[in-house]
Amino acid sequence: MAPPMIDPALFDQLKSKIEEDSSIRKELDQILDDLNQHVSFTQGLQSRIHSTPRTKYATLLSQLEGGIQKEIETIGKLSAFASQYPYYKYNHKWTRMVQEAISTVILCAWLGGMSTDSKPGELGRLLTLEDIGQTFNVPVNLKDRDAFHITIEEYLLGLIAVIDDLSRLAVNSVTLGDTAMAVQISGFIKDLHAGFQVLNLKNDILRKRVDSIKYAVKKVEDVVYDLSLRNLIPTQAAQ
Amino acid sequence: MSGFKRDWSGNAKRRDGPKPAPKQVVRNAYTPMFESLRNELDEHHDRRERIVKASRDITALSKKMVRKIESKLPANIQSEVDSRLAEIAKLLATLAPEIQGINRYRYARSLMCLEELVEALTFAHYLKTQTLISHAELDPIIEDLARQGAAPEDEVMADANDTAGTAEKPAAPPPTAADAHTVSLTQDDYLYGVFDLTGEMMRFATTSTALSGTMAGGQAAVGEDEPRTIVQDMHELGTFFEMLPVGSGNRFQWEKKLEVTRQSVQKVERLGYDRIIRGSERPKGWIPDLSSGDQGQDEELE
Repeated sequence: MAPPMIDPALFDQLKSKIEEDSSIRKELDQILDDLNQHVSFTQGLQSRIHSTPRTKYATLLSQLEGGIQKEIETIGKLSAFASQYPYYKYNHKWTRMVQEAISTVILCAWLGGMSTDSKPGELGRLLTLEDIGQTFNVPVNLKDRDAFHITIEEYLLGLIAVIDDLSRLAVNSVTLGDTAMAVQISGFIKDLHAGFQVLNLKNDILRKRVDSIKYAVKKVEDVVYDLSLRNLIPTQAAQ
Repeated sequence: MSGFKRDWSGNAKRRDGPKPAPKQVVRNAYTPMFESLRNELDEHHDRRERIVKASRDITALSKKMVRKIESKLPANIQSEVDSRLAEIAKLLATLAPEIQGINRYRYARSLMCLEELVEALTFAHYLKTQTLISHAELDPIIEDLARQGAAPEDEVMADANDTAGTAEKPAAPPPTAADAHTVSLTQDDYLYGVFDLTGEMMRFATTSTALSGTMAGGQAAVGEDEPRTIVQDMHELGTFFEMLPVGSGNRFQWEKKLEVTRQSVQKVERLGYDRIIRGSERPKGWIPDLSSGDQGQDEELE
């Protein structure tokens, strides 16, 4: 007998491999559904900062930290599950959601939350990639082994989302009578904008998003201009 | 030829020259953080660029190889295949250290060349044995190629003869230390390479039928009246893909490739039909008109 064109064992083997892959994806989807829920809730809560005066941040921040705690737990689950498989094989499934979770943490910390023993919370604090890794209790920018981690791109994209949100906050804080906040946001965003210029960007999603920062810069500059025109900028002494 | 850029006064800027001094940016509290992130990102970009470049070269060589092994592998063609394989081996060897461990899937999309290489190797295997080589059989062949590419020049040529697409022979003993970096195939590389194989087999069936007047096939096995022909093989491959579950990760690409495969199968079917109906009427060298009716996209869809 001549051998058949296709060895039947080959088919069975490939079929079971594909099925295994599908079940991994299904399980990932379930974890990501949970994460999506927690992130959406936290983001919703976070939108209250636009109508909350600075004096009442404390309550809001503790609520936010509750939401973030849930995110941390779910990312822990994701990390444990995903680390069993090649990281970049499935990374595209969660990278977006992880970016948004990172944003909520960065913004919460900037507003004065996420205080730890060594680093007390204060308005205007920027968490670094390493801080984010500690918060979520996962490694960052992993190169020497194949496991779940947070990438540089995810951190930067998350940070850009925060810049967008802060530019909105600059407008609303003026409405709430907190002009000092608008001035502080303006300084922060301009510094970050300068920071992003240091990167050598390729023609990818990161470049596209980095290019959008200039609109946030313009937005806060307009606010500061309006304030200075009317002599509403608090002087150093008054602060 | 790649062009070059000119500066404001019209002098050509040299690419390999020193990079212009970095833009002077205002330094602030966050600058050091961004600088360290930049260095990390640059490392990634550079690596990807090197991979993309090698990948393109391998793709081009694989495509040339497919054009060549499209006949019964006489000596002159075998030797050309071997020299191409040797070139590919060298490229694979340069690629290998870049795609170890976590980086294998990171750059999976930049490594389309492996699909093309699978296509060429599976096709060579089919022409020699009329069977589909399995993923498990193909893996050591590609690993060996990468290893030989790292070996000194004269060994490469000798070894390329051993591994030019056959799996019957025991794989050549690895010439280098076991810790050498190798290139591994992913499941997707294999499957999509085999998808492309169907297009190549269709082309082979068409030209060989036209030139020889008979349908390409093997020797009749003992106990069978007719030898298995490429029409049956195409049907079997078609069924193979129809029965496999769709990988949920890249449904779109899978459907597209499957559709092209269906068309290839039908073209070969049509060829078999034409030969039965009008085989005796047809002068030698006549090529059936496949340009109308069931034709769709080109099978070279990338």
